[in-house]
Amino acid sequence: MTVSLSLEQITAHYGATKVLEDLSLHVGEGELVSLLGSSGCGKTTTLRLVAGFLEPTSGAIKLGERDLTRLPAHARDIGLVFQTYALFPHLTVRDNVAFGLKQRKVATAERNRRADDMIERVGLGHLADRYPANLSGGQRQRVALARALVIEPPLLMFDEPLSNLDAKLRVDMRVEIRRLQQANGTTALYVTHDQEEAFSISDRVAIMNAGQIMQLDTPEVLYSRPANAFVADFVGFENMIPMRAIGEAGDAVRAEMAGGATLDFPKSQFTVPSQDFVLATRPEGLAVSTTDWGIPATLGLRTYLGRAYQYQCTTPAGEVKANGPLSAPYDEGLHVNLIPLPEQCCLLPAASA
Amino acid sequence: MSPRQRAWVLSAPALLLVIVFLGLPVLSTLATTFGDPKGPFHQYAAFFDSKLRMRVLWRTLEVALVTTAVSLFVGFVTAWVVSKAPARIKSLLIIAAVFPLLTGVVVRSFAWLVILGKNGIVNETLLRLHLISEPLNMLYTQFSVTIAMIYLFVPLMILTLVGVLEGIPQDLTDAAASLGAKPAAAFRQVVLPMAVPGLIVGSVLVFTGSFTSYATPQLLGGERQMMMGTFLYQRAMVTFDWVGASTIAAVMVVVTLVTVLIMSKLAQRLNPVAG
Amino acid sequence: MKTKTHPLLIAFAALVFAFLIGPLIIIIGASLSDSSFLTFPPRGLTLHWYENVFAISAFPRTMWTSFQLAVGGTALSMCIGIPAAYAMARYRIQLPRFLGNIYVLPILIPEIVLGFSLMKSMAIGMDMPIMASLMIGHALIVLPYCVRVVGASLNSFDFSIEEAAISLGCPRWKAFFTVVLPNVRAGIIAGFILAFITSINDVSVSIFLTGPGVSTLPIQILAHMEQFFDPTIASVSVLLMFVTVAVMAVVERTLGLTFLTK
Repeated sequence: MTVSLSLEQITAHYGATKVLEDLSLHVGEGELVSLLGSSGCGKTTTLRLVAGFLEPTSGAIKLGERDLTRLPAHARDIGLVFQTYALFPHLTVRDNVAFGLKQRKVATAERNRRADDMIERVGLGHLADRYPANLSGGQRQRVALARALVIEPPLLMFDEPLSNLDAKLRVDMRVEIRRLQQANGTTALYVTHDQEEAFSISDRVAIMNAGQIMQLDTPEVLYSRPANAFVADFVGFENMIPMRAIGEAGDAVRAEMAGGATLDFPKSQFTVPSQDFVLATRPEGLAVSTTDWGIPATLGLRTYLGRAYQYQCTTPAGEVKANGPLSAPYDEGLHVNLIPLPEQCCLLPAASA
Repeated sequence: MSPRQRAWVLSAPALLLVIVFLGLPVLSTLATTFGDPKGPFHQYAAFFDSKLRMRVLWRTLEVALVTTAVSLFVGFVTAWVVSKAPARIKSLLIIAAVFPLLTGVVVRSFAWLVILGKNGIVNETLLRLHLISEPLNMLYTQFSVTIAMIYLFVPLMILTLVGVLEGIPQDLTDAAASLGAKPAAAFRQVVLPMAVPGLIVGSVLVFTGSFTSYATPQLLGGERQMMMGTFLYQRAMVTFDWVGASTIAAVMVVVTLVTVLIMSKLAQRLNPVAG
Repeated sequence: MKTKTHPLLIAFAALVFAFLIGPLIIIIGASLSDSSFLTFPPRGLTLHWYENVFAISAFPRTMWTSFQLAVGGTALSMCIGIPAAYAMARYRIQLPRFLGNIYVLPILIPEIVLGFSLMKSMAIGMDMPIMASLMIGHALIVLPYCVRVVGASLNSFDFSIEEAAISLGCPRWKAFFTVVLPNVRAGIIAGFILAFITSINDVSVSIFLTGPGVSTLPIQILAHMEQFFDPTIASVSVLLMFVTVAVMAVVERTLGLTFLTK
């Protein structure tokens, strides 16, 4: 049974503080969507609203045809993996996994068989009689996963499930989570603050800030085409240079930056979104060059990155970072031009900054 | 000085205090009970043969057990409500429980003299309502001792159990709910089993506390409702029967230590976190 | 947003709290009553019984003794308990585990047994002055609080900070006073408060150690009650409740009331 999840215009408060505002989100059948953002952005609140631990002030939550909005948590039938794993310390691995089946009044023999099957599937067959206190972090994580999966829920949710694991295990586990989720074709909502984790595991990612979704799209689009300055900054566009369009110059738009320098953007390669806009790039989106088109800059400290050299550059509009080729290391103090590479730069409306 | 020597030098004064002023005196008290010319266990045989002494022991056990059971029930329900209360009210309730706990045993026992006395509030009320024609004798009964004892220990139980209940992570009850457990099922299958070690610890505190108490049975039980504590004092300071008093002391020590040992083993076995 | 607590449970808890606070209010009422025997509700109001507390010289005298014992006994206990707690936390591997259990023996052994044994060995066996034996007795019964509560603070103390001070040229003893102690201040205050309260309310040990001319307040109250059953006792009790209020205010100011839930 594969269903979709819809959040419709959800507003939520903690006491008098508004934590979510008019948030809408659709997770398609069998799709995995991540909520990504720093702490306090509302991602965990969203998840707890869907789980039924919080009630929205207004709006509706629907799972397929079922309206969950006012349903108590225990009646929602959602598999949830907690950040702390929340394993019952007084129950064995098997009893932990069987807990949900017991609530569903599955007969003991059937219950244990299904629990054991699931424990086997997450590779813990030999540990079924252990208590959580005697398991490693990774093993606990697997038990938590098995416990959520065994009830065959129409929706799986993950609340920062990997944040308590070490780096290597994190990569292994996220592959495993993705594999199990795809194998069952279960719709899933995944909360994390780790960008790499969200991008690697998700069909689509919602980047959140201050209780709102800033952009919801595939990881590829988010990474290369952020829609606004917040998302650009979030995905690592370190250089943000404010510009103002001041006229046309042949096939190009001429823009002026702080400090008075001008730059022509060819219309064939760039689309200027509004009169005031921001040129956003990663360091590799600005090529250090001695030709005469580009942003005038003085090179500062050079660092070696392996794939390129990176320079701290001083421009009329302030400090920026740019990369230069390994073949030609430049010296500090050299006057150069920084060329924005069209496929790695975004021109964003200033209002979004 | 090596770290080992330094550690022992720093520990020495405290160890000396305990050994010289607790270890030796208590051991000497226990030792005198075996010194009877009629054989080392004569004092104990006499104790367990004496109707009076056995009655005191049973009475003390009875009062302690009733106090423990009632405090456990009352304390658990109250602690549950306190732990679920909104933060503001919760801290008020905790103050309300701490205040009596910090107020001395004498003061709190004395309150029940005023309440249960001949001219006390209970008798006055009953007389005024014409439910009785002359004041009831409630003081110096097992009832008066027990009620004051419950009054003494309920705050301790509440505070212990609030700590226990707050120590059960919200995530666990959330997890139970997300797996389909109704609130009652989550309570029975998750909260209660996890609280058991704490319930045992609280019970041990109350049982040993009430079993060995002195001031409360002295004030509310008097000579008529002698308990182990008052009995010991009476033997030692009124009849100057120090060997007899030492025997009572030995029985108290054994009952307390055995209770503590057995119950803490049990709590450990039932403690889920220790595995 | 949270699951609701059943109204019956709330009503039950309300009754329990009435049961906890009610008797204390009754004492306050009785202390203001103008009849010469203890009664509640009071018929007329008077402060006479408070004057009476100070008119009977034994009360102010024993108050002063109790205060001296609570402060002196706790201070003595801290002076030997803090080094012991420090040794347990700092040199964990050098010391046997059971040492921690030795320090809590004064709580584990029934207090009345301890009092009786102390009387035999100190007052009779060693012929010690009353005040000295009381002081030792009180230091002993509060030792568990000093060692355990300060120890809990020390266990969460990062001793590399002390090593940092020593590596910067600070002598070991000075590092203890200037780096370690200030960082476990909360534990020391908490331990001191618990110890003070335990000492000032103690009956079971003091009753064996007090003697001619030297008594503590709780023992004096018991003695007074054997002869007189008038509201003076209620007034003393109210004064003792003020001590509780003062202690709770100190807790509030220094540690915050959340400390009390732990």
